[in-house]
Amino acid sequence: MQTKNIRNFSIIAHIDHGKSTIADRLIEYTGTLSKRQMEAQVLDTMDLERERGITIKAQTVRLDYQGKDGQMYQLNLIDTPGHVDFTYEVSRSLAACEGALLVVDAAQGVEAQTLANVYMALEHDLEILPVINKIDLPSADPEKVKTEIEDIIGLDTSDAVLASAKAGIGIEAILDQVVAKVPSPAGDRDKPLSALIFDSYFDAYKGVIALIRVMDGSIKPGMRLKMMATHKVFEVTDVGCFRPAPVNVGELSAGEVGFVAGSLKNVKDVRVGDTVTYADNPVAKALPGYRGINPMVYCGLYPVDSSDYDNLKDALDKLQLNDAALLFEPETSMALGFGYRCGFLGLLHMDVVQERLEREYNLKLITTAPSVIYHVYKTNGDLLKIDNPANLPPLTEIDHIEEPFVKATIIVPNDYVGAVMEISQDKRGEFKNMDYLDVNRVLIKYHIPLSEIIYDYFDRLKSSTRGYASLDYELTDYQTSKLVKLDILLNGEPVDALSTIVHVDRATQRGRQLAEKLKAIIPQQMFEIPIQAAIGNKVIARETVRAMRKDVLAKCYGGDITRKRKLLEKQKEGKKRMKSVGNVEIPQEAFMAILKID
Amino acid sequence: MTMKLGLYVHIPFCLQKCFYCDFPSFANIADLKEAYTDALCKEILMQGALLPCAVVDTIYIGGGTPTTLSDGLLRKILASLKQAFHFNETMECSIEANPGTVNPQQLESLRAAGVNRISFGVQTFEDNLLVKIGRIHTAQAASQSVLLAQAAGFTNINLDLMYGLPGQTLAMLEKSMQIAMDLGVDHISIYGLIVEEGTVFAAKEKQGQLELPSEELVEQMYDRIMSALPNAGYERYEISNFAKAKCYSRHNLKYWQDQPYLGLGAAAHSYINDRRYANTHDVKAYIAAVNSGKVAAEVEEEMTSTVLMEEFCFLALRTKWGIDCGKFAEKFGRSIFAVYGNVIKNLQEKKLLTVDARSVYLTALGMKYGNQVFAEFLLDT
Repeated sequence: MQTKNIRNFSIIAHIDHGKSTIADRLIEYTGTLSKRQMEAQVLDTMDLERERGITIKAQTVRLDYQGKDGQMYQLNLIDTPGHVDFTYEVSRSLAACEGALLVVDAAQGVEAQTLANVYMALEHDLEILPVINKIDLPSADPEKVKTEIEDIIGLDTSDAVLASAKAGIGIEAILDQVVAKVPSPAGDRDKPLSALIFDSYFDAYKGVIALIRVMDGSIKPGMRLKMMATHKVFEVTDVGCFRPAPVNVGELSAGEVGFVAGSLKNVKDVRVGDTVTYADNPVAKALPGYRGINPMVYCGLYPVDSSDYDNLKDALDKLQLNDAALLFEPETSMALGFGYRCGFLGLLHMDVVQERLEREYNLKLITTAPSVIYHVYKTNGDLLKIDNPANLPPLTEIDHIEEPFVKATIIVPNDYVGAVMEISQDKRGEFKNMDYLDVNRVLIKYHIPLSEIIYDYFDRLKSSTRGYASLDYELTDYQTSKLVKLDILLNGEPVDALSTIVHVDRATQRGRQLAEKLKAIIPQQMFEIPIQAAIGNKVIARETVRAMRKDVLAKCYGGDITRKRKLLEKQKEGKKRMKSVGNVEIPQEAFMAILKID
Repeated sequence: MTMKLGLYVHIPFCLQKCFYCDFPSFANIADLKEAYTDALCKEILMQGALLPCAVVDTIYIGGGTPTTLSDGLLRKILASLKQAFHFNETMECSIEANPGTVNPQQLESLRAAGVNRISFGVQTFEDNLLVKIGRIHTAQAASQSVLLAQAAGFTNINLDLMYGLPGQTLAMLEKSMQIAMDLGVDHISIYGLIVEEGTVFAAKEKQGQLELPSEELVEQMYDRIMSALPNAGYERYEISNFAKAKCYSRHNLKYWQDQPYLGLGAAAHSYINDRRYANTHDVKAYIAAVNSGKVAAEVEEEMTSTVLMEEFCFLALRTKWGIDCGKFAEKFGRSIFAVYGNVIKNLQEKKLLTVDARSVYLTALGMKYGNQVFAEFLLDT
């Protein structure tokens, strides 16, 4: 198709502001799917989604629409992931578009995450079309939301579409605005190929499928192509688009969006942000903005039953097929034995992977507390990047430690400003600025260590603002902090998997709380168990798990045997969920205890 | 081929339910006593006919409180047993009784009917504690009952005692043990209180109205018992059972030593030919089933060889003799060390088990932490 009749756009919205409902209505309205097919299709997609978990980041769909001018248009809708963990993926999806719908809930107004994505869209020079959704809600106040958008983002809202995706209001207006206002893509189909990969997934039959936006040139089956960053060369077997199911087309040319499949077996070869070009006649320069994968959060995953080690490896391999952002490498812990150090894009990513391992692969896992990457400068001038507190060198060898900081953006009703500040201060946040979005909503910015965010910052924020706070953060820099390693000794023996890195001013308090928490978690055993929190050789807190005084069934006669046996089975089952460290049995949750203190 | 068999006869009647008791016994169904006895006798005759090769060498009439049945009803049951089964000449025949529910005439009558061992649920010789745990007798009545039994010719007498009771002190426990010993009984069972689901104590505990002695005090009581009774010549032959002059409860030993027993009456359990059976708990349903000509037993569980091995071990470990390695090998066709080598080694290192040429048994520490050992003898499946 000629580029002048192509429109590429995405939808930016906060969770629950109605992004997927709008997408569904657009698909339905353009006749891409009938209402009946729609229902079946939506279910399919959910299955797929479950199967692919979070890697189904950008669902793309091609819509055919006859504009007011009577011409047929190809509209490519590129969905974006809705979580702060995937900021980079969002940026690549936006780079594939010329326009974006900004969907804002008519009752809720602008939220922190919406803002982050809008700013990103503006950076990419996208044409932004405001859509006020859910106008049929009794609490809807579209005028107020319009003012908010104008004040906060500076967008003209005089043409904003008033819509209710649920009631089917405003859908045609959205489509007409996309045709009228979103610029057609630039690009020349006769130039050498350059196409941007904005997502990928693994298909059991076709291998890795790359979702692409063709910038220049065209792609046909049989061509030999090359990934510029990974240098992977492959032959194209399928070229197509999503309607929303994948459909093969003969060609994708400049300006178009779709997928390409070929002899690609490994998701690691297909990196989001990479440029696809001809293997034999490559373009000189890759498209801008490619970034390697940078996990921000690390934790150790260990099988409770050490014989599950190989199963864990298999499961991680399988998950990685579809999730190039998941990194893992073998790790050994004195306390936990053999396991894997895993890197994640963020906390949500970590939760999802953990849950899938346990649910889909039936593994019982011990997860150690998450850690960020610390830059440890040694006295001899070496720089160590440490993602596991256990690997921190001795105090005497450390010159200083830097930790990652983020810019955190919080939006709350003004009643809760005090609560947000208190928590942020407590989390070592440095106040940057505060803006009133309207008479009762406030945007607050803090410069805050990432390590504090990945503990319980968001949970505390949510609970002390009755769920009203929305949070977004992005990595800004590394700064020197006075950090120390807090060790936990059980029965006199340090347990490496319980070590954490904390700020020196917080160390005593954290040590005390952690020791108390562990005391509550570790069950009584046949002997007394001293719990010590220590920095270097200095013990800063001590608790004791008292010895179990006796443990024996007093009575067991003819009628009791089966019942008593059940009790013993329960006891044994409980023990299985524990890890023996030295002669102390430690329950799984102890290794996450640091997250449970406040 | 003959089979030595123990019989357990369950009498599910009590005058009052004790606060700690979760046994199948009831205080409000006294009107069923006759019908129950009739049904029980029918079941006895039916089962006897099914087991013609059995030679009964122990009988245990338990409850509930068997002695709440009239003399006539008890004699009827004993007569049915005698009619239905072959008795071994040196048979042990025990009956449970509560202090205050016995009288000289009844004791004479039981003796005459062949009962030669009696077990009194004394629990403590402190009147105020007896009230707190829902017992209806007094300390004096308890002593009196023992003297009556002795006068009636019972030489094999057991007293049940408890420790860890609400309000109980170390001194109270010592006094109770002393009185029991001074009464000259040859057997004492002593149990730590466990608050079981569905009991009066469990309800009180939920309301925060049950003040139990501290863990430390209970441990002191335990330690005191384990020194006081053996010092006085009572041999600890099972975790909670002590006997003088080898006056063991031969019936109870069957439970721990993998010997067959047949349960008769509501809620009674059986273990025959490597299977466990249980009669229905419901007294009325039991009576109805027997009257319609059915045996009320249901297979409680199919026992795999794994389950059999596990139970063989954790039951045997309760006794001072522990697991007889030869018997294990004979029954299962494998050496115990082939199955439990690592477990045994590990528990030995923790000083919970002792191994000698013929057996594996608990150390004194192992007795105190028996559950830790027993649980390890459950195999991973």
